[in-house]
Amino acid sequence: MDLSTQLPQLLGLAWLMPLASFVLILFFGPKMGHHGRNAAWVATAAIVTSLVLSLVAFVSWLGAHPVSAGHHGGDHGAAHAEDHADAAGHVAGEHGSDAWHAAGGHAAAGHGPIAYSGDWYTLYEGGRLRLSIGWYIDSLTILMFVVVTFIATCIHVYASGYMHDELHDVTDHEVTLTDGHHLHRPGRFPRFFQALSLFCFSMLGIVIAGNLAMVFIFWELVGICSWFLIGFYYERKSASNAANKAFIVNRVGDFGMLIGLMALWGALGTLQFADSSVPGADGHAVTKPGLFSLVRPADHGHALRVPDGMVEFAAAEKVAHTPPAEVAGKVDAWRAEGFGRWLLFIAGVGIFCGCVGKSAQFPLFVWLPDAMEGPTPVSALVHSATMVAAGVYLVGRFFPVLTPDVLLVIAYVGAITLFIAATIALVANDIKRVLAYSTVSQLGYMMLALGVGGWAAGLFHLVTHAFFKSLLFLCSGSVIHACHTNDMRKMGGLARVMPYTAGTMLVGCLAIIGAGIPFVIGLSGYYSKDSILAQALSFAQANPRHTILFYAVAGGAALTAFYMFRLWFMTFAGEPRDHHVAEHAHESPQVMVMPLLVLAVLAVVAGWTLPGGFGIANLLEQSRPAGTVETAVGGFAFGQTLTIPAEHLSHGEPFHSTATWTAFATALGGVLLAAAMYVWRVISPAAVAAMFRPVYSFLANRWYFDELYHALFVVPAHGLAAVASGIDQGLIDPFINFLAWTTRQVAGIDAWIDRTFVDGLVNATANATWTLGNELKRLQTGSLRQYVTFIVVGTVALFVIASLFFRQALAG
Amino acid sequence: MSPADTLTQPALWPLSMIVFLPALVAAVLSLPIIPKAREELIRWVTLATTIVVFVLSLWMAWPSLFGAAGPAQFTVGEAAMQGVVKRPWIPAFNIEYLLGVDGISMPLVVLTTFLSVLACAASWPITKHVKAYHVLFLLLETGMLGVFVSLDFFLFYVFWEVMLLPMYFLIGIWGGPRREYAAIKFFLYTLFGSVLMLIAVLMLYFTSDVRMLSDAQLVGAHVVSPAADGALQADAIATIRGAKSPVHTFNILALAELGQLPNSPFAAAAVWGMSLETWAFLLLLIGFVIKVPVVPVHTWLPDAHVEAPTPISMILAGVLLKLGGYGILRICYPICPGAGLSLAWLVCGVGVVSMVYGAFAALAQKDFKRMVAYSSVSHMGYVMLGLGVWSAVAGNQFRWDAWAQGVNGAMFQMLAHGISSAGMFFMVGVLYDRVHHRNLEEFGGIFNRMPVYSGLAIAVFFAGLGLPGLCGFIGEVLVTLSSWNYSRTLAVISAFTVILTAAYILWAIQRVYLGAEYKGPHGDHLTPITGRELAIAAPLVFFAILFGVAPQLIFNYVTPSVNRQVETLADWTRDVGGKAVQPVAGGPAAADMTTVR
Repeated sequence: MDLSTQLPQLLGLAWLMPLASFVLILFFGPKMGHHGRNAAWVATAAIVTSLVLSLVAFVSWLGAHPVSAGHHGGDHGAAHAEDHADAAGHVAGEHGSDAWHAAGGHAAAGHGPIAYSGDWYTLYEGGRLRLSIGWYIDSLTILMFVVVTFIATCIHVYASGYMHDELHDVTDHEVTLTDGHHLHRPGRFPRFFQALSLFCFSMLGIVIAGNLAMVFIFWELVGICSWFLIGFYYERKSASNAANKAFIVNRVGDFGMLIGLMALWGALGTLQFADSSVPGADGHAVTKPGLFSLVRPADHGHALRVPDGMVEFAAAEKVAHTPPAEVAGKVDAWRAEGFGRWLLFIAGVGIFCGCVGKSAQFPLFVWLPDAMEGPTPVSALVHSATMVAAGVYLVGRFFPVLTPDVLLVIAYVGAITLFIAATIALVANDIKRVLAYSTVSQLGYMMLALGVGGWAAGLFHLVTHAFFKSLLFLCSGSVIHACHTNDMRKMGGLARVMPYTAGTMLVGCLAIIGAGIPFVIGLSGYYSKDSILAQALSFAQANPRHTILFYAVAGGAALTAFYMFRLWFMTFAGEPRDHHVAEHAHESPQVMVMPLLVLAVLAVVAGWTLPGGFGIANLLEQSRPAGTVETAVGGFAFGQTLTIPAEHLSHGEPFHSTATWTAFATALGGVLLAAAMYVWRVISPAAVAAMFRPVYSFLANRWYFDELYHALFVVPAHGLAAVASGIDQGLIDPFINFLAWTTRQVAGIDAWIDRTFVDGLVNATANATWTLGNELKRLQTGSLRQYVTFIVVGTVALFVIASLFFRQALAG
Repeated sequence: MSPADTLTQPALWPLSMIVFLPALVAAVLSLPIIPKAREELIRWVTLATTIVVFVLSLWMAWPSLFGAAGPAQFTVGEAAMQGVVKRPWIPAFNIEYLLGVDGISMPLVVLTTFLSVLACAASWPITKHVKAYHVLFLLLETGMLGVFVSLDFFLFYVFWEVMLLPMYFLIGIWGGPRREYAAIKFFLYTLFGSVLMLIAVLMLYFTSDVRMLSDAQLVGAHVVSPAADGALQADAIATIRGAKSPVHTFNILALAELGQLPNSPFAAAAVWGMSLETWAFLLLLIGFVIKVPVVPVHTWLPDAHVEAPTPISMILAGVLLKLGGYGILRICYPICPGAGLSLAWLVCGVGVVSMVYGAFAALAQKDFKRMVAYSSVSHMGYVMLGLGVWSAVAGNQFRWDAWAQGVNGAMFQMLAHGISSAGMFFMVGVLYDRVHHRNLEEFGGIFNRMPVYSGLAIAVFFAGLGLPGLCGFIGEVLVTLSSWNYSRTLAVISAFTVILTAAYILWAIQRVYLGAEYKGPHGDHLTPITGRELAIAAPLVFFAILFGVAPQLIFNYVTPSVNRQVETLADWTRDVGGKAVQPVAGGPAAADMTTVR
């Protein structure tokens, strides 16, 4: 079967399996065995099927497009810098059939990625505008499918053990009722798997989406799944607050995303990534260019250029005064004047805003730590490995459309995020919150990598991070399961009772700090983190005034090493701090340990490149957006020219070795400091905290972001709400009441006239015509009849007056 | 009526039955032969009537469901007016019994009949004056359906008023503690709007002159019945052509044709410094936006909703609010395109103000039902914005499809809101029936007490939140996306509303359904959802999902008619209206914000 029909079918099916599971559990969940025990099997079976289908798709893909070491790069030498805004000389013209990347076959490097796209069905169609549900499949899509379904499978298995408390009645010790007892409630095992299945469906929907509208749809859906899962213990006020906070903060990001969508939609009339084939006026299919080829047309060498639609939109005033036939000829001149540049910038930043919300970037990262209120498997799947990575994924997917200015914004947001989150993680004592801030920080890494032009580096780190962070979370879940507390200050010495958990978590910690023997071999994080460092260094060299980005990455690496090993040492090393906790601690059941082992293996090997060249890094290169192979120069928004260095340059010297040594040194430094403080105890953490008291409390209070946002946004919002409500009650209604009072007075006069002059007649008429009169008579207030009379008389009078008036007016 | 009429006007009986069957049954029910004590009988008869009307409307709207399509049935995908019924009514004033449906009105008719069935089923807990209640309820249904199918402006006005009175009584008698205040407020507001509308109707009538129309236009607008044979048509045209004085008309289609003429009589006549067209547009607009309602003429809505019994709230939010949007789309724009073009900023502006203001006000409410009522204000703001995004103005730029998208989105939003708001009010009613209070601060823990009900309720509230996969999303996103081409400022504000909507809905869900325990009185009355309630809630949730997943089901009806109207008006802008605004280069879109470069 042809790959272009096979892939959408396989992945489409893989995408829908969890939906089927959701529907089944929704309707039959409680009937699935004792307390819905079998719901876990249904959900797991669905996600395993998805995994198998994804793997089949992966194998088919590899059969058609083998991964080799030499794939990436294109012509390395001929880096021709081109200012995207300086494109006046180019003629807007035909997008030939070579713009159709999905036509199968092996697109040569430099001419764009290999991708298959198409539509399943249409949501709305009117004129040239069309919103649809479709697919865009390249190696990134397939890789994400495999990663998401694989981790989800591990977590489904793990959760079927972790959530076993929900199989019988639960006493929730965190909820105290008004009568002083703890809440006692039935377990809701099936509901957990129901939400998890819906989440998997939504997440895969984002990954497979063929257009931005579909991304937005599933973007919101993962948001609501996250709401369900964070608020799983919805009896707890803290959980439902966290759920609401997560959704609303994400909506703030979506607000920006909507603006980005509008900027694209309004000017270009399409949100499709790839070109699509639509029926033309004469019935023949014509190629309608998608966003990628609009912004990077093939006849422009796939270099970034403000699309004609945006130029015309921004130059609307000029278009209005130009005869339609001449518009096309003037577009290039307008483009040279700079029309449309801001629009493209707004579009990019807008879409990125959505990613800021979803991927918990500064300034919207505040929701993610609170999201740890959800059960730990959820934290592992949704709030570390997959959903929060969706923002990074979208930036990667949307990368061709992002101008250098937008990339700079992304890089700085990433840098700020990684720094703030890492500093907070230094002092957090809740094991899950340390991991949550670490997630925020690592997501900042990925954003920064993408922002400095490290397209593959950022997405590579997304994949490796997914493995080791879900591993770390599951390990923390195992610890919490054993200790019944999140507080690391009560742990310690657990390595003896929980050897598997301790061992696998050590692997996770080593992976996240990028441990490895320089230039020889390392854990997965070693490779991805090195490539980010190298690219940041390359960027810093090309743009000396942004060297700080490199320091942020390097400093962040040191902080990461410190807080991760602080976590490991506090939890597993030394002597137990709380004997009550230590006595109850035990290794988790096999069903929970197995996923840990599997993920630990992947956390080690995911970054490796096999001798034949097969590896994630090279696989990603197959999807590298057209036109990003070479170094690009551009930028207008910040009054400076930016150079986005080609990524392959960072694989060479001097970047590669400098980055590797920097990573090694910073990680080692961080680990040693942590060991000094928490193992050898040569430095007392308490003394350090006391010495830097203001800094410590600033960090411990998480930079006061929650307080700041509460004062800046929540309070004013409620204030405005009170004002709006107050205007209604204090201004509009009194006015209406005054009118009503006046009307009542008039009605009173009318009633008097009624009684005096036409009493009998009106009563008789009313009784006769109003069939309900008898029924309602007792209930009437008396004024009603006058109202009816009022309308009738008024209507007739108006009719007469108006007709006289207009007859006169028209006659004259 | 002669058999010939049924042959030439096949929709005569079906359409008339859809409109008048409820009134007919109401008349029978009101007779003394039906004893008041037979409450169950009255309820069942009413329910049966609404079901028959629903099936009839479905028969018309969805022929393939009933086998081969007859001539009276609706052709999906056809843009023009269908099933037109034309009989003289008051010949002295050229008032006709002129009915018809197109892709704009047909879905609204089905929505009305569908919600009537559900609202009737939701009326079972009503125990006070059951007979009178159901009689008024049926009258109300006739009024609503009549408005949607009337093509004669006078008839339209009559139905508009017919609808008003039953609603007044239904709120004023069967309402809550402040029912009389709410009913009078509703009545005053709407009466005020009706009076303005009547003035506009008469203005247009006395200014109209069908002699200005071409033969084709006369036939197309059903001034001369296209169903009649050639000789009769020629006769009728000859009569019009031979008339010595202006031949006035209440025919909405003919008024639209007149209004779109290059030498439109409405644009030519001037009253007090403004064209008559502008006056008519404004008067009609005020009349309609009171129904929608928009800020600042919305304060009748929260009171009416809070006081009205649950089924009446469902009808009020589900159908009555749509009449305003329908009126603007069907009457204001086609008849007064010039005023529509120059006042588009007003329509869009009040829409956006309502969206934001309604959302903020909803956030502040302590009363559950009031919160839902304000959410209606906010959601109907999208309808106004979508109707108003007249973006085919900028000189040589004709973005009619962006505007069509807005109008299609507005139509979808009306239908979606009909489902989600009726659902939300019903869900509030289910709780109120049990615990007799609506204080948001005194709920909590309902999910654990009534899981099935809460699941359905949360689904419905999510539809209101505009979650993808549910019906609220499509309309909102289409309107928001389309508004960018009209005005960047309004587009950004309308996008901002999504944050507020999430805030007030999630906060309400948290306070009512989540939490550990119920905090209010009568906690022991929180019994699981009954079969009857489930039978009402489940279809609403089903359609909320169906239309969210497959919006084409609605667009198949709506889009052809909407696009035809929008294209016609866009052409009109280019050929006629554009001339008038040509000096203002760039149009309102460019004027309202610094140019995005």
